Amino acid sequence: MNEFLELTLSGLSLGTIYALIAMGFVLVFKATGVVNFAHGSILLIGAYAAARLQGDLGFWPAVAIGAAIAALAATLLDVLIMRRVRTSEPTTLAILTLGIDIVLATELIRRIGSSILTSGAPWGSEVVRIGNVVIPEARIAAGIVAVIIIAAFGVAFRFTDWGVAMRAAAADGRTAALMGIRLNRVAAGAWALAGALATIAGVFFTSFPSPGVDNATGLSALAAIPAAVIGGLDSLAGALVGGIIIGLVATYTAGYQGDLAFLGRGLSDVAPYTVMLIVLLFRPSGLFGEQKVTRV
Amino acid sequence: MRGLRATYGDAGDALAGVDLTVPDGAVVAVLGNNGAGKSTLLRAISGTLPLEGGRITGGAIHFRDRDLAGADPTAIVRAGLVQVPEGRRIFADLTVDENLRAGALAVRDKAAKAQARARVFELFPQLKDRTGQKGGLLSGGEQQMLAIGRALMSRPTLLLLDEPSLGLAPRIVEQIGEIIGEINREGTAIVLVEQNAAMALRIADEAYVLETGAVTLSGRAADLAGSEEVRDRYLGIGGETESATATGTGDATDPAAVPAAPRRSGALASGAPATRRATPLALVAEGITVRFGGIVALSDVSLQIDPGSTHAIIGPNGAGKSTALNVLTGVYTPTAGSVRYGDTTLGGLRPHRIAAVGISRTFQNLALSAEATVERNLLVGRHRLTSSGYLTTAFGLRRARRELAAQREAVREVAALVGLEDDLHVLVHTLPYGARKRVELARALCAEPDVLLLDEPVAGMNARESAAMSQTIAEVRATLGLTVVLVEHDMAFVMALADRISVLNFGERIADGPPTEVQRDPAVLEAYLGAAQPDTPDDAPQAGA
Repeated sequence: MNEFLELTLSGLSLGTIYALIAMGFVLVFKATGVVNFAHGSILLIGAYAAARLQGDLGFWPAVAIGAAIAALAATLLDVLIMRRVRTSEPTTLAILTLGIDIVLATELIRRIGSSILTSGAPWGSEVVRIGNVVIPEARIAAGIVAVIIIAAFGVAFRFTDWGVAMRAAAADGRTAALMGIRLNRVAAGAWALAGALATIAGVFFTSFPSPGVDNATGLSALAAIPAAVIGGLDSLAGALVGGIIIGLVATYTAGYQGDLAFLGRGLSDVAPYTVMLIVLLFRPSGLFGEQKVTRV
Repeated sequence: MRGLRATYGDAGDALAGVDLTVPDGAVVAVLGNNGAGKSTLLRAISGTLPLEGGRITGGAIHFRDRDLAGADPTAIVRAGLVQVPEGRRIFADLTVDENLRAGALAVRDKAAKAQARARVFELFPQLKDRTGQKGGLLSGGEQQMLAIGRALMSRPTLLLLDEPSLGLAPRIVEQIGEIIGEINREGTAIVLVEQNAAMALRIADEAYVLETGAVTLSGRAADLAGSEEVRDRYLGIGGETESATATGTGDATDPAAVPAAPRRSGALASGAPATRRATPLALVAEGITVRFGGIVALSDVSLQIDPGSTHAIIGPNGAGKSTALNVLTGVYTPTAGSVRYGDTTLGGLRPHRIAAVGISRTFQNLALSAEATVERNLLVGRHRLTSSGYLTTAFGLRRARRELAAQREAVREVAALVGLEDDLHVLVHTLPYGARKRVELARALCAEPDVLLLDEPVAGMNARESAAMSQTIAEVRATLGLTVVLVEHDMAFVMALADRISVLNFGERIADGPPTEVQRDPAVLEAYLGAAQPDTPDDAPQAGA
């Protein structure tokens, strides 16, 4: 029972991290219609920069600068590359982001090499005991920070002019343009925000119990893509729910790996995708996704 | 606006030199059929053409002292020129309040925003009680009010309205018309694009008629409302001369004058069996009702389409014509009522099953594979008549090759029938619009249907192309013995071709009979021009409400 509680809490925490990544993914998709497979590399840029800088600057300034660098990188991708081909087919755009991802990931992995860069988070490997339940401090911090960011984001999305512009542009870009909303600016803003969210998620993702940023970080962050897909790709609430589902599933399958040995090793890497397939079988547009209706 | 030209991709000019002047504080109506270039005109003015893959290729848009051609949409909104898009396009998931805020995002001045907001609530008191409600839950009329209100939030000096009456009940249209007048009295100039000529001409000072990307008629609105030409264009009354050419057998008209007219192929002229002669049955729809959410698109509509006849379904925009066609082809399942073809009940059959029964259709907006040749597109139409599977075709077995050769021959015959035999190996996207419409017709014929449903076959064509198309359809029908069901706006075309006409308005059948009867029917005149009987009691259902 204790084990189950521990796993649930740490799954929820991991889930909120996935949710941050998935929200960035969804944000870009809603604002520009691009399924951004380079999101993992953008996360890696931010997390890598933060890990490199934390020794000199301290943890929080490093995270802030890392987030700014990732936001800038994502914005540049949008302005220099994606904007020029905005009217292309969605599939073409997705394949383009795959290419960008390969280029970015290759360079980052070359820089990281075989080293493991610690995130330098102040909570290190401390744990908190509540009764018999043991939780790493890092997980608690991740959960709290993620929940605060998601809530702030939700409020901004709902009540600010920026939020209204963003939602209007996502709902119907052509009409939003007619109202004088600058679609290019909304798009660049979405990419930048996605980059910043990914960095914050990336920093927690590479904090304890994970050893740090290594050359596989971008790849494991990709599990946020099934989270976004489960949620429906165009729903921020869906990204949150999808993230938590994936976090729980990944943690349970890793925690109970001993009991699930008959399914083979490395189950927790595969499980998110399995869940995604099962959800899509029954809900092709995801849990919260908009049903596409075509009029002839 | 001077000599404005615009194009989408390389599809030729969607606007070919349009001149239009809007005096300060005036209401100018732009009339025209589907595909005439009205929407392109508005997109060009509001700077949103690039979003649709189009661009302005010539001419200028002067607004006050600025040239707005090619400016970005935000700059144009800031300059005081705002468009209310066709179909309202309110943000359904945003609240009424948020919709209004979205309209004011280009404005920085807080006081101006508050003032604009107060003004909107003054014009539309209904909206004030519903600020927290989601836009999508408003009725059609309220959505139109919200769309106009949203545009007014940036305090425009020129308001562009695209089809504000579309799909709304007459009483609501009346109300919208009054509000437009009210907005105008405050000093805002208005460009009103409408298919509802009655409403537009009543409130406009000046009017332009647009046809295939060019202004064909312009003048004071009152003069146009009384003009023969406008009556002719919208009702086909007095269009005897045009009808004559449309149905002409070709010996009276110089063939060179009708460039797109079909040339008879050798096979046909020599009497060789071209394509199978059709054996159509009666197509009967009884008491069809279709609801989308709370909107009733069709209400208890019955249609009796006799075998071998040409039956037209007409009505103003939003009357339910396309819905009717979609029910006949099984795209929509009606909420109530049944569709029978001969003894077969079509209700609930999947579209491909309906195709197999012998009913084939074309689409209002072209649905062709643009990057493939005409022949390839037509072969798709043969699909239901082929038997080779993936493997036999992939391995190029003899049976598959023989079948392909036979299909190619059949396709060639159909192409000859509609005058496309020389274009078989041309890529579809290189063809002009009129020819693409023919490709759609040919593809539908390739399925060897008994019943051919045509959704606006001459939309966007000029009078000459339309006459040629009319001739082709008449010939095809005579040669193959088909039943033809037409949905069309071009009245001259319909009057010339149809044996029987059903008129829909707001989802109800308001008239049914031979063309001569229908075009004199007071209810039809009322629906189209609103001028015949101004005092008709307003008992129409509120389809859009």
